Amino acid sequence: MRSRSIFGFDVYILTATLMLLTVGILFVYSSGLETTGDTLSHEYVRQTIWAVTGLVILVSISLIQYASLKPWIPYAYLLGLVLILMTLLFGRVVNGTRAWLGVGILGIQPSEFMKIATILAFAVYLERAGNSIRQIPYLAAGSLLFLFPMALILMQPDFGTASVFFPIYLGMCYMAGARVRHLMFIGLTALLVLVFTMLPAWEHYIHGSRIPAFEIFSNVRVKLLVLAGLVTVALVALVGFIMLKRRSFYWIMYSISILFLSLAASVGTRAVIRDYQIMRLIVFLNPYVDPRGAGWNVIQSVTAVGSGGIAGKGFLQGTQSHYHFLPEQSTDFIFSILAEEWGFAGTLLVFGLFLVILLRGLYIAGNAKDSFAGYMASGIVTMIFTHFIVNVGMAIGLMPVAGVPLFLVSYGGSSMWTALAGIGILMSIYQHRYRY
Amino acid sequence: MSDSWNKNAIPRSRAIVFGSLVTMLFLGYLGHLFSLQVVDGYLYTVRSENIKRRSAVIPAARGEIFDRNYDVPLATNANSFAVEINPALIARGEHDEIFTRTADLLGIQPTDIQRRIPASSYHVYQQIEIRSAVPFETIVQLAENIHDYPGVSWATKPVRTYPDAEASAHLLGYVGDITPEELQVLYNRGYNARSVLGKSGIEQQYDLLLQGEEGRSIRTVDARGRRVGEEDVEIIAPEPGHNLVLTVDRRIQQLAQAALGDRIGSVVVLRPNSGEILAMVSYPTFDPNQLYGNVAGRTFSQLRNDARAPFLNRAIQSSYPPASTIKILLTTAALEEELISVGDTIFAGPHYRLGNRIVNEWRPSGFGRINILQALANSSNVFFATIGHDYLGTERLLSYASEFGFGIQSGVDLPGERPGLVPTPEWKRRVFNSPWVGGDTVNVAIGQGFLSVTPLQLANMVAILVNDGVLYRPHVLKEVRDGHTGEVIARVEPEIIQTLSLKPQTLQNVRRAMHGVTRGGTAEPVITTPVVEIAGKTGTAEISSETDDWHSWFVAYGPYEATDADEQVVVAVLVDAANEWEWWAPKAANLIFHGIFADMSFEETVADLRRRRRLWYM
Repeated sequence: MRSRSIFGFDVYILTATLMLLTVGILFVYSSGLETTGDTLSHEYVRQTIWAVTGLVILVSISLIQYASLKPWIPYAYLLGLVLILMTLLFGRVVNGTRAWLGVGILGIQPSEFMKIATILAFAVYLERAGNSIRQIPYLAAGSLLFLFPMALILMQPDFGTASVFFPIYLGMCYMAGARVRHLMFIGLTALLVLVFTMLPAWEHYIHGSRIPAFEIFSNVRVKLLVLAGLVTVALVALVGFIMLKRRSFYWIMYSISILFLSLAASVGTRAVIRDYQIMRLIVFLNPYVDPRGAGWNVIQSVTAVGSGGIAGKGFLQGTQSHYHFLPEQSTDFIFSILAEEWGFAGTLLVFGLFLVILLRGLYIAGNAKDSFAGYMASGIVTMIFTHFIVNVGMAIGLMPVAGVPLFLVSYGGSSMWTALAGIGILMSIYQHRYRY
Repeated sequence: MSDSWNKNAIPRSRAIVFGSLVTMLFLGYLGHLFSLQVVDGYLYTVRSENIKRRSAVIPAARGEIFDRNYDVPLATNANSFAVEINPALIARGEHDEIFTRTADLLGIQPTDIQRRIPASSYHVYQQIEIRSAVPFETIVQLAENIHDYPGVSWATKPVRTYPDAEASAHLLGYVGDITPEELQVLYNRGYNARSVLGKSGIEQQYDLLLQGEEGRSIRTVDARGRRVGEEDVEIIAPEPGHNLVLTVDRRIQQLAQAALGDRIGSVVVLRPNSGEILAMVSYPTFDPNQLYGNVAGRTFSQLRNDARAPFLNRAIQSSYPPASTIKILLTTAALEEELISVGDTIFAGPHYRLGNRIVNEWRPSGFGRINILQALANSSNVFFATIGHDYLGTERLLSYASEFGFGIQSGVDLPGERPGLVPTPEWKRRVFNSPWVGGDTVNVAIGQGFLSVTPLQLANMVAILVNDGVLYRPHVLKEVRDGHTGEVIARVEPEIIQTLSLKPQTLQNVRRAMHGVTRGGTAEPVITTPVVEIAGKTGTAEISSETDDWHSWFVAYGPYEATDADEQVVVAVLVDAANEWEWWAPKAANLIFHGIFADMSFEETVADLRRRRRLWYM
């Protein structure tokens, strides 16, 4: 039994992972290159070390019976929370975020590993909950597992990393069989909170003139009035639903509640959110509002990607990157260098490799021998997917700028190990799929 | 495969929906990337090329200004260092620290930097100049420790310098950065927001000749604006401005400046037979070197607030009553109109009375019967009040004043010239709403009252008499030379602006009368130079009957009778009433004439006259 599983690595995922790691090291090298040909940084050396050590982790995890992890999961989760709490107290500040623990050049970002810990913990929860996840109280209680780390990470403040937790929650719940209408409720509310938070800034920076209806967001009295009105309508609908048992009343209540909640929540978010975060969202809609400031990254990145053309400018030949027009080019904007130097062909390659990992990951999730493994696999797939969508979307101007790395490719030890550990878990699930 | 799908785990339909969602989003992204990279790729290629190409302006060297000897420049350009900060290259949160460190290095306050780079522009990718004229040693210090100063850099920058500093300040003027108002006016003439232009004097008058044309260097740069790549840099070379050669003689300018000393006033020295200005001095003066660069603002407001108006070029920009110097004009008019001949005498008693206007003779006993030569030599008020009012009359007097160039600008090639004033009956009615009375004519005749002239106009009056009735436009520019080769591009030819047909006899007699002033007349005690015969006229203008302040004038030419007209010079000196009274104008003129004709500097002149025991007044 055991011998069979050793050779039971999923070759598709493993090949794709190795190729992406190679691409990553190549472009971390490229990003550190001066136009003169001198290497500006030795990040690629460290990236190689992390890739190799990460692969060791991957193989080790894949050999472990994932079921044996279970007793350790609550401790891992708690340890993760404590570590993030420690970053808030003693953490090092990098790029305005207090997210790092460590001494000298060695540092870890506990928030990265927390994603895996949370996925594992929630998988345990979902397994226990079983079919009950279709009920709102179970769904809501489970969200606490995500809300704790998210809250702590937001305090660092690391908006990008925190935001990744949300899709993981939705994805895992969906795969565990939660009701779609519940998940849609949560998703729509979150989206509307974001929209309502941004609208006043949108009015100011992009629309240019005052819109009377927007008093709702700025004037507290108007806001309270509108909220009261919504509550009234909802109550009427509730009465109607109970008395008349008509479905339509249910949907009225459903949408009113979304509006009510997001309006109310936007009060809180507008108090918490910082100006530069608002600006990031604004320049996502129109980078030319502040082309030299907040919009700079987006404009330079899209220019780099677009100028790559079909075949690219050639490896190490990118100009946008080597002339330092792109900031954070080895981490957040690594995809831009790749797209500039390898063009649409390179883009297709990277998309293909990620698609292999994700679809194959879903296949593993579906073929897992127990639900716990299935949920874990779903969570890992969602995590990788979210990172991909947010990071690439940011590089091509389809997502707001949020410091989310492209797994396996972006420079960084913590995210590298997180990704490889996640893939290691997928491997373990695959290898142990037949063991009963 | 389907049988391996575990019922306990993931609902199959959901995995398929999730997988489809992933695939759709991937395809959506790929579609967008296809349009970015393949469809619109060329657009972004062009844009990325443009982002990298940056053209930098190469400033054109401003033309130099020389005196008539065309050897050492009066105005030139020196290279200086400016320290700049690019705030976007400083890491977030470190601005204050870097600013403080840089301020310490430059010896300024951190607030000086913060004022130029407010927090709102911390993200701006641009070099912002924080200090110019930084000493080379400081730049060396900065270069050696450049790692401690992220975002800080330096650039060389030409700075206008005036080696003679204060001596020619009014004549040359000074330069400064263009103001938004000036740019609005000058934009169509090739100026831009970076232009440095002349703000007064020659620098302003001939700014377009001095400017030259900016060059450009087009290069490939990285995000920090640093030059990258091996490609050839395209350079459009700047065209330097033209060099100007002035009519001014630096030695005479310095001589006149020293002779006036620190007395509020002015000196004009010109050649009557061409209108060339050899020297033009005004005091108080300023140092034009201080008006550009770090201290400009402070110096400027200091000078602005100085009640003595140091920016005023008193030779052309302020006018004074001519006092007794006007008697030259009356002498000319009376002789030319044959109202009196040289031998005729008029009784000049202690007073001239016209209604309630009483003109006192400055010698309380009066002069008795004197002829016109004696009258000018002794500057008799009563004699010329009689000539002016009783003989010439208002109309003829004023018309002579106008013909001699009073009341209108001479057209000298310097900005801001004032016309002075020749009062007329219409003028008086308009301004004071009162009729012209005989007393007004008397006032004009003795150079008091409303009549006011600039020192240059007074010099022109004498130039007309020396030059047989011909007046050349006074000018400062002699030649324009190419900035590269020094080749003469244009030469200013003397231009006649007024021709008075005066009888030779009149001219000869007026000159004789003026010579009498220095030989036996009022100026004899102070005109002591033995090297040149001087003919001129003193003037003492009362500025108010209450105070004891007097303007002191002396206007003269020499040599008195020259065989070569090129030799002759006219000197006009004004010493303002604000100074302590010491009758300095003729004394200064004496030194200037001696210095010019003995070819000596001020110090040599003083020493020489002392040796000859002819400098009793110093």
